[in-house]
Amino acid sequence: MQKVLNREIKELITAYPEVGRVLEEYGIGCAPCSVGSCLLKDVVGIHNLDPQKEATLMYRIEKAIYPDRKISEPVVDMTRKAEPKKITYSPPVKKLVDEHVLIKRLLALIPSIVEFTESSLKVDKNLILGCVDFIRTYADKYHHMKEEDILFKYIDEKAEIIQVMYKDHDIGRGYVRQAVEGAEKNNKTQVKENLLAYRDLLTQHIKKEDEILYPWIDRQLSTTQVGEMFRKCNDADALVGDELPRKYEKFIVELEEKFLQEVTK
Amino acid sequence: MSGCPGSKTIDFSEKTNQEGNETGKRPSQLRQWPIQLHLVSPMAPYFQGKDILLAADCTAFAFGEFHKDYLKGKSIAIACPKLDSDQEIYVDKIKSLIDDAKINTLSVMIMQVPCCFGLAQIAKDGAEKASRKIPVKQIVVGLEGNILSEEWI
Repeated sequence: MQKVLNREIKELITAYPEVGRVLEEYGIGCAPCSVGSCLLKDVVGIHNLDPQKEATLMYRIEKAIYPDRKISEPVVDMTRKAEPKKITYSPPVKKLVDEHVLIKRLLALIPSIVEFTESSLKVDKNLILGCVDFIRTYADKYHHMKEEDILFKYIDEKAEIIQVMYKDHDIGRGYVRQAVEGAEKNNKTQVKENLLAYRDLLTQHIKKEDEILYPWIDRQLSTTQVGEMFRKCNDADALVGDELPRKYEKFIVELEEKFLQEVTK
Repeated sequence: MSGCPGSKTIDFSEKTNQEGNETGKRPSQLRQWPIQLHLVSPMAPYFQGKDILLAADCTAFAFGEFHKDYLKGKSIAIACPKLDSDQEIYVDKIKSLIDDAKINTLSVMIMQVPCCFGLAQIAKDGAEKASRKIPVKQIVVGLEGNILSEEWI
């Protein structure tokens, strides 16, 4: 089993699809991951499962890989109720989670923007470039840079999960470049495909960060590191000033008003 | 149940023979003097830029691993929100620790009894009055010495 723990998750799921299904049951969505190079032991560790749940999960994975092996099933105390899991964040991490909210509001608008683009005579270049400016400045420069330059520095940056996050950021930047090119060339399909792909990618990315990655990082931070990180994030925010988040919040509010009007027309 | 939970008589002496490792010396992690919040000066060198533990008087007696798990690496101030007088001075001292001593974090350790939450409120009030912002954590110790909760507030 030790060898299995050190194998890459994608490779394991490909060889034993049942492993993917078992993980799915435990809320561990590795099967659709585009990278899948995390090791099984890290995947299990990062999800911070109840010890009893983890023992049962490991038993079921082992059984899926070695169905003929005699493995004793962990004793499950059915009288013990699982504690409802409440995710709490340290203040600097909470700030990053809060920044996701504005990004998610743009993601929620993308289907309407795409529909509007498709029904218009030509691509509304200003609209698309406005969204791109939000993504590049608020999501990427203001938010992702704090993750990359501050948060990720507190853990092993070579960890697969972090590599997956970096890769997501890069793939997202690629979609944005393509959407800009589509807008410049008045190519509605190119704009549509890349904005929707960006939406899918970032939706999953933010969910992974809010529910898995950030709590995992938080569990490893000492009190001193939390204070230090809080200061560094505040310093980074002070460099850009209060105006930037205010400007992009206003942009999202106006966009929401515009598309709410479109829907009710 | 009647009366103040903070001064209610409870005897759990039969539970004192709990398992635990008694071998080895447990060195004190205290690195300063004085420690009482009325006596300390926020300008003392041991507070500058440090992580601070603001502990309710009873916590160190209730929680067996106080030195090892919570005091180690931190500077400390102690107070009792039930019995101490002139507590508005406490609020100003917390503010000064944040603004002048530029402390890194503030961890407030209190007992589970209702009156002890007054110390957490003093910490919050001091932090709100301060112009700098820092992370503040609340740790609640049970009457039998267990950690009931630990969260950033």
